[in-house]
Amino acid sequence: MSRKRAAELQERLDNELRRVSLDHCVKCTICETACPVMGVQPLFGGPKYSGPQGERYRDGASVDHSIDWCSSCGTCTVVCPQGVQVAEIISLAKAVKRAEHGGPIRDVLLTQTTLMGKAMTPVAPLANAALGNRPIRKVMEATFGVSADAAMPPAQSQSLHGWLKKRPKPSKAPTRGSVVYFHGCAGAYFEVEAAKCAIEVLEHLGYEVLVPPQGCCGLAAQSNGLFDQATKAILDLARALAAAGKDLPVVSTAGSCVGMLKHEAKHYLGVDDPILDEVGVRSYDISEFLMERHEAGELDFDFRPIEMQLPYHQPCQVRSQGMGAPASDLLRLIPGLKVVDSNATCCGVAGTYALKKEKNAVARAVGQPLFDMIDRTNEGLVACDTETCRWQIAHETKVDTVHPIVLVHRALGLSEG
Amino acid sequence: MRTVVIGAGLAGLTASIRLLEAGVDVTLVSKGPGGLALSQGSIDVLGYRPSRVTRPLEVLGALPGDHPYAVLGTATVRESVSWLGQRLGLVGSPATNLQLPTAAGAIRPTALAWASLAAGDVRDHTTFAVIGVQQVKDFPAALIAGNLDRTVFDGRELRAGFGLVDFEARDGEQDPSPVHFARALDDAATRRRFASAVAAAAGTADVVLVPGIVGLDDPGAWDDFVAALGRPAAEVAMQPPSIPGLRMFQRLLDDARALGLRHVQGSLATGFTHEDGRITGIEVASAGHSKHIRCDAVVHAPGGFESGGLGVDSHGVITERLFGLPLTVDSLAGLTEPEVGAPQPLFEVGVLVDADMRPLGLDGPVHTNLHVAGGILAGAQRAREKSGDGIAVASAWRAAESILGGAR
Repeated sequence: MSRKRAAELQERLDNELRRVSLDHCVKCTICETACPVMGVQPLFGGPKYSGPQGERYRDGASVDHSIDWCSSCGTCTVVCPQGVQVAEIISLAKAVKRAEHGGPIRDVLLTQTTLMGKAMTPVAPLANAALGNRPIRKVMEATFGVSADAAMPPAQSQSLHGWLKKRPKPSKAPTRGSVVYFHGCAGAYFEVEAAKCAIEVLEHLGYEVLVPPQGCCGLAAQSNGLFDQATKAILDLARALAAAGKDLPVVSTAGSCVGMLKHEAKHYLGVDDPILDEVGVRSYDISEFLMERHEAGELDFDFRPIEMQLPYHQPCQVRSQGMGAPASDLLRLIPGLKVVDSNATCCGVAGTYALKKEKNAVARAVGQPLFDMIDRTNEGLVACDTETCRWQIAHETKVDTVHPIVLVHRALGLSEG
Repeated sequence: MRTVVIGAGLAGLTASIRLLEAGVDVTLVSKGPGGLALSQGSIDVLGYRPSRVTRPLEVLGALPGDHPYAVLGTATVRESVSWLGQRLGLVGSPATNLQLPTAAGAIRPTALAWASLAAGDVRDHTTFAVIGVQQVKDFPAALIAGNLDRTVFDGRELRAGFGLVDFEARDGEQDPSPVHFARALDDAATRRRFASAVAAAAGTADVVLVPGIVGLDDPGAWDDFVAALGRPAAEVAMQPPSIPGLRMFQRLLDDARALGLRHVQGSLATGFTHEDGRITGIEVASAGHSKHIRCDAVVHAPGGFESGGLGVDSHGVITERLFGLPLTVDSLAGLTEPEVGAPQPLFEVGVLVDADMRPLGLDGPVHTNLHVAGGILAGAQRAREKSGDGIAVASAWRAAESILGGAR
């Protein structure tokens, strides 16, 4: 708890231009019709109340605790016809509350994603066994408030950088120049398979892939109101990616994390730093990057057919990047693959939200329409761009859930189905 | 062929569906979710001119030459609005207005509506039982019944009484939004419980009027409710975001998606590229960097002043935001009328178009492949006339047909 920090954040909340966008709110309540949490949790006042409406009355006084129900999915900002930065205002108000009143130590632990990866990888089978053990999870729930029902990241016995060190040099010489690959903490330690596929796809298509040492983007800290920690993380990341090469495209399979580079760190955390601006404008979701090159006539994909119906879920924090659904467009280029868009607002996990004991039931209720849709449409596989969403979907539906690039990898003949 | 449609309101979605049906690739770019969530779940063609209109199509020919309907022609209005009504399964036709009770107890003329709304048509009923819900704001049953009860419609005295039911949509929630009520009533058991409560509160009347909250996602919710109630009933659309309007938005968006719509949501179109008098692409403000969408034709349906498609700056200069299109008037001076309820000339400001809905400059179309539709068109007092929906549907249809015609 820091009175001084709270006052600094309050100053931002009172005076930033984004805050002024609350004056554009005409109280149409369209955000309330779209908010996934409000639809299942009557204790949440909703985005209009927690954001622009409540903000008018937070003159020196703290916010009320119902704001904690917000999962930071960002849907309210996406649907607002007036351009009110609803989610940004709520997020900053949450950070003020956190600085004023503190919060559970659990929330700090949950944001130590890189540390978790480093600790779990060497003892992967043990870690997975422990996290799959009901009595242990019950103890974790009672001690730390980490829900016993929540999906947990699957530890791998080899990290991405471990694999990169050991693998043979790519046989094909690059023909299209270099890209910097941003894998995120999950890509480094938990979703290593997707990261490998991404690197192999980019190399197959003729790019040299540079993978600099890199840490966490700070998104989990941000959504828990830990703005100082998040700011340090995103700036360290931007510097690490910038160091890999000047003006190169930064390409990522971490669907939500790349949004931190593009807009969230600037608009939520208020980070105003040239290094972030410089890296942000050249950061791409991997499907976005491939589709842009394809539509510019630079890239053709010689895809083999994959005969399957595939439900695809675009996560809320990928949708909020305002680029359409490039993964869905890319997957549709694969012959035989029948892509069914979920059109669901959110899977409920919202990063660390579903991991919290008091929020897990809400998160599952948020995701229920998506899980039902997947039950109806899957033929053994689901595609989704963001790691925590994939874990949530796989946990709730028991259907294998992969990054879209895994299917692209397969369609390019780089792996067998 | 690749097209970009800008705006997710009635015009944008209508144009998208027409183009997609013809096999054309459509990318819809929208900042907000369009105006349908703020609409009533009905399609107005022409409600007042200035007195109440009963047969809209017969009046369109008499409108002034710069009115959008005059440019579009009666046949296009009939064909396009009928097509949309059939597609959505609406009741009514552009030829004859329904006369529906409102949430203030007035009678609103509109051409087509969801069956649940059309069932309250005052041409078909004389006595009304208006049933409010204590937990639902903004459906003042006593006021509605009082106003209906003093109405003489077509020489007939209407009669209305009211009742109130105590019904929680979600346990313990005293102030739910209509959306949460509607979602609760998507559940069959909750719906039956609601029907019993309404049945107990409603006295004798030709028809029972309830707030427009009976289900959002379940298309069978209304018929099931009426069956459970066991007597004629109708929904009355409430103020925005109205459930019948949301149903229309969701249905049109679902239809467009099923036809293969690409949707760039939450992003403003900020610029365009052009060559030899043709638009070649649209710039979209996606996160991090702008996105350039190449296209062969554009339907620009951003709405008018309400949505920022048209704007007035602090110097009174009126502009079209994206393409800088020529407007009928570009200065606010003399366009506002202080008298409350008087027609505001400002609202008629907009873009003039040719028969293909292409914006006109001094030398003909500004861009040969740019078409506009909906609230951006000049020449209509939409709110007073109740003509906005019909203009949106017919102009979007015409724009799409022109693009398809050009492709043939």
